[in-house]
Amino acid sequence: MEKNHKNTSIFTRFDLTTEEEEQGARKVSSDPLLQKVGSCVIEGDDDQIEQAVTEALQNKSPLVVTNEGLIAGMTEVSRLWAEGSYFLPQVILSSDAMVVGIKLCEQKLGHPMDKKAKVITHTAEGDIHDIGQVIVNALLSANGFEVINLGFDVPVDQVVSACITHQPIMLTGTALMTTTMSAFPRIAEKLIQENIHIPFVCGGGAVTEEYVTSFDLGIWGKEASQAPGMAEDVLKGLSWLELRQKWNG
Amino acid sequence: MTTFAIAFDIGTSGIRAQVIEQQSQEIIATVITARHPIPGANVIDHLHFALEMGINSTQRILVQCINQIIKSFPIDHKQIMRMSVCGNPIQLSLFQGIEIRDLAFAGKQKQQALGISTVNREALITNAGQIKYLNLSDQCEVIIPPAVQHEIGADALAMIIQSNMLESKETTLITDYGTNAEMALLHNGCIYSGSTAAGPALEGQQINSGMLAAPGAITDILEEPPYYRLCVLDAEMNTVNGPLIEFNTNTVIDPHSEYPIRGITGTGTIAAMFQAMSKGLIHKAQINTPDNKLHLGSNITFNNHDFHEAGKAIGAIRAGHISLCNAAGISLSDISVAYMSGASGTYMDAHKAQQLGLIPTQIKKVYQIGNTSLAMAKDLLTDSSQLQQMTELATQLQENHCMFARSDVFKKVFMLELAYWTEGMPWSLYQKFLKKYQLPAIAEELSQAEIVQTVTRDINTLGSHGLTTLTNIGQKLDAHMNGCIACQSCTVECPEQAIKLSSTNGVAMITLNQSLCNGVACKRCEQVCSDQYFKLSQFFK
Amino acid sequence: MKLIDSMAYSSPEEMMFGFAKKPVTTKSGLVIGGGSVIPEITTHPRPGKEHDLATLSRELERANFDALQRCVSVGHPSIVIENEHVFQMTNNPEWGAEISSISCQMIADFKSKYGLNAAYRSTIADIRKPDLVNLRDSERTEKVIESFKLCAKTADIVSIESLGGKEVFDHCIIRNDITGLLFSQAVLGGRDMQWLWQQIVEIATENQCVPGGDTDCAQANTAMFMAGGFDGKDIPHTLAALTRAIGASRSLVAYECGALGPGKDCAYENPIIKAITGVPISTEGKTSACAHSDLCGNVIAAVCDLWSNEAVQYQNMFGGSSAAVFTEILGYDTAAMNSSIMLGFEKQYQACLINSDRYRDPQAFILCPDNAWSIGKAIVDNANSLYERGRAAAITCGELILADEQLMLTAIEKKSLLGYMQELNTLPDNEADFIDLCLHKYQKVKGFLPAAYGL
Repeated sequence: MEKNHKNTSIFTRFDLTTEEEEQGARKVSSDPLLQKVGSCVIEGDDDQIEQAVTEALQNKSPLVVTNEGLIAGMTEVSRLWAEGSYFLPQVILSSDAMVVGIKLCEQKLGHPMDKKAKVITHTAEGDIHDIGQVIVNALLSANGFEVINLGFDVPVDQVVSACITHQPIMLTGTALMTTTMSAFPRIAEKLIQENIHIPFVCGGGAVTEEYVTSFDLGIWGKEASQAPGMAEDVLKGLSWLELRQKWNG
Repeated sequence: MTTFAIAFDIGTSGIRAQVIEQQSQEIIATVITARHPIPGANVIDHLHFALEMGINSTQRILVQCINQIIKSFPIDHKQIMRMSVCGNPIQLSLFQGIEIRDLAFAGKQKQQALGISTVNREALITNAGQIKYLNLSDQCEVIIPPAVQHEIGADALAMIIQSNMLESKETTLITDYGTNAEMALLHNGCIYSGSTAAGPALEGQQINSGMLAAPGAITDILEEPPYYRLCVLDAEMNTVNGPLIEFNTNTVIDPHSEYPIRGITGTGTIAAMFQAMSKGLIHKAQINTPDNKLHLGSNITFNNHDFHEAGKAIGAIRAGHISLCNAAGISLSDISVAYMSGASGTYMDAHKAQQLGLIPTQIKKVYQIGNTSLAMAKDLLTDSSQLQQMTELATQLQENHCMFARSDVFKKVFMLELAYWTEGMPWSLYQKFLKKYQLPAIAEELSQAEIVQTVTRDINTLGSHGLTTLTNIGQKLDAHMNGCIACQSCTVECPEQAIKLSSTNGVAMITLNQSLCNGVACKRCEQVCSDQYFKLSQFFK
Repeated sequence: MKLIDSMAYSSPEEMMFGFAKKPVTTKSGLVIGGGSVIPEITTHPRPGKEHDLATLSRELERANFDALQRCVSVGHPSIVIENEHVFQMTNNPEWGAEISSISCQMIADFKSKYGLNAAYRSTIADIRKPDLVNLRDSERTEKVIESFKLCAKTADIVSIESLGGKEVFDHCIIRNDITGLLFSQAVLGGRDMQWLWQQIVEIATENQCVPGGDTDCAQANTAMFMAGGFDGKDIPHTLAALTRAIGASRSLVAYECGALGPGKDCAYENPIIKAITGVPISTEGKTSACAHSDLCGNVIAAVCDLWSNEAVQYQNMFGGSSAAVFTEILGYDTAAMNSSIMLGFEKQYQACLINSDRYRDPQAFILCPDNAWSIGKAIVDNANSLYERGRAAAITCGELILADEQLMLTAIEKKSLLGYMQELNTLPDNEADFIDLCLHKYQKVKGFLPAAYGL
């Protein structure tokens, strides 16, 4: 007399449905060409991505390939990461593949694609340990931000002048050693002098919340993975102080 | 007339010294300090302190402590004819009072901006008169060993020489499991070296209940099914059985002794990690107990943050090993012999370390060799060829030194380690990524390694006068803070109780016990001062 | 003691809500299991109200009054009121007795004033925590017995949620140790109940009070809570299902000692008990969401005689006090069930209850009447020892779960279950060997005192 109620209005076996999803990525497009592009991003396949994007560009516009293939694929990667079935190295591979794809689309388009906003990232003056920054860069790119990557061992003045030139919505700084993090308050001070009141997210190694919140503009970044969420908040209009109140303390 | 020579190892957590009788080369006495005199918890803190307070006052603090040790030797100090020091480049530079900013700022741009040219850290024989504040007769000879770049110093050279690894015919790895883990790989006559900022987790710091080895510290955790036995240090620093506990609750099954448990050391941390991992208590990088903590008796817990910190330290070391192997064109499995040095490397359970990935899985023989710096310093006193050997080795190391911070292989593997330890990335995926990066897979089966402990404790021979531990080192410094209203916020805030407040003729005077102070990376005293009258620098003017 | 070796029901189809093979009549005149389902409301004091007798008594008096009054208001014809003792009510036996006496007097007043049929169940708190005291010989043990003696004088029904084996169970559940769970529930729990329930039955009988029943709340429900919902993964749901089956072999001991039912509401193993013994049972499901969540909110009502809410703290809600509100909910539920009986649709109604949850979760699946009956059959067919029947219950339970193709399991649930089955199948065949094995294996478990179980 009993029927299989797995998918009826009576109940949903969320333990099973979530389990099935964990086993693989969802389809990102019904179009086979765009699906291939999306799959390359999801798989982080840097060998195939160029070919997939090139093929798709033959009969799709760069905008469609970007939004419905590359970004759709990356959105799926973010979802898989959030649910715990993807891990950081996979996200970075996917982000790299996506960036390769977007470059191709931009070539075809003839000009750079519109990004959400600019974020400047750097590793502190005197510090050569930039692994945290590498992660921040990949995650910001993956979330549609234009990353101005100043690299490592960047002098204070160079950071400030880049902020003047690029007018980013947010600045990030990474430091492994307590000795180099003293550059951060100096950067913040000079930005304020230049009347640039953007959030300055500082993190890495020995950088502590107490230290970063002791100077204006400073927001402590506990983990690299917080960077996109913070940037989204700035886009929504949060000031550096509101951002600090939300993410710190 | 009997003459003497003195050897010093300036370590991060304290100074160790020995005095020998020059003719007989016999050890007379050993003196160690319970702490390092310069404010701060680790060598980067010491460096940071010197940057902020000036090299001169920092050198003074360090050398005055050395003078205090010299004074405590049971000999006629005028008869000290020779002194040698060993330690990492930062400590030795502080001792000499030379440029340290290149050590603080590895980036070339910053160095250029500061106008620092290449700093000479070659071997040096000078006399005591050349070392400011040093209380020895000017003619006393002072031997300072060389350093390789800023990452690898005399302590690392000591580790390589004192272990005798260079005589090995087999592929051999040596690692000092410290905050800055120095490591070297010998393969086909070439030495590949590197140094990774593992962080202090394996020394019991940055761990919630972490502490350095001291009475009341958990140093190991043994399985006594269905429970676990804590091993703790007693008042004499002997490892004794502590309470029988279970990880899930703070219930103590059998207190065993009333000895109070105060915290967990680096080796205890390794044991906790090992037990949690091997009992399947880690799920997706989270501790899978009802409250996500391992309970180590009634008042000590090991939480997810601790697991991640210790995991990152282990990961940095394994990433370093893999990077060295990559430089040598071999895989971890090709290494036959591993040396573990430093206090952590000596006291940690090698089997547990191997299980966790701190030494390669396929190793055949493990030597735990203790602290080699003091032994090196002592050899420098009696064998003049040793300094030459260190210099030659330093030159040799420059050929194949691997700067991990700039190594792609290191970065890629460390990122895998991060994902493995903090996100719970499955091991199979880790291996898949290694393959993708064209790096050899890590063998999963553990070898039955033979473990040889060449020492039973850090310093093997103490001398006829035995060991003296100086606990009261460093100075108490007084300062008046302009505007201070004696509200006591700073004395309450200080995590080390290093600050005392007194009043002389109605003027508030603050006294700092400098060796207890956590240094400029802490500065909670300054932050808590409501009107920012407190300035740590006041004490060190 | 001879263990039950036959089934009261010859097939699961015979089992129906409202009907028990052996109905029970209380001294207040209420018939339970005699053809209709009756609501059973359990009221509970707010925290802080238990410090002195006057306050506590006033709190429960109000709650119980509200329940009776709501029956009158909406026309529920009969009700059982239960108070589960808070610690103080048993630790001071006169407290529990006083509250029982007041409640019974109130029930009598409602009967004379409105003709409402009601009964009072006093559930003594098992304050003998096995890791603190010797279960058989402690001051707390004496207080438990004394409480039964005093409460049975006035209460219609007495019950208990006994704690035997809890110390070993707690140790084993977090270790996924099925051997230890079997030992703690079937052997330790069963032995403790044999010792305890003979005394309870004797006391109750002397006082014309119904010796109700017991529940494996302390163990199987702990497993159920830990298993949680579809999003909870502290322990596998299949493990919780196995502990439920083992729990049935344990709770059965009360009836072997002479308990007559109704079984305790939180004994989710009661459908199995009913299949074996034919006594009326109390169950709780969706209506106990106020106390805890479960995955069998409807199916658990399929063969109930009393329909309960576990416990609801006395609080004010928009619709009156929580006692009144839950009484109303329970009464309407039972009214619907009783209507289906009257209309001859009870089989269809029961099918709806069962099908709502049958494949929701393995824990619900094994409590469907057909599966509950099969587990009961395995228990009576292995009546050689407490251990053997507990093990048979677990193995049958696991086999039923694995055999039904429509019951879906996540990979981890299935893998875990196969592991438990393998372990169960390699255990010794006879109880003496099993006890030897376990005494050695669990000797160091904190507070475990074999002598407290006559071992």
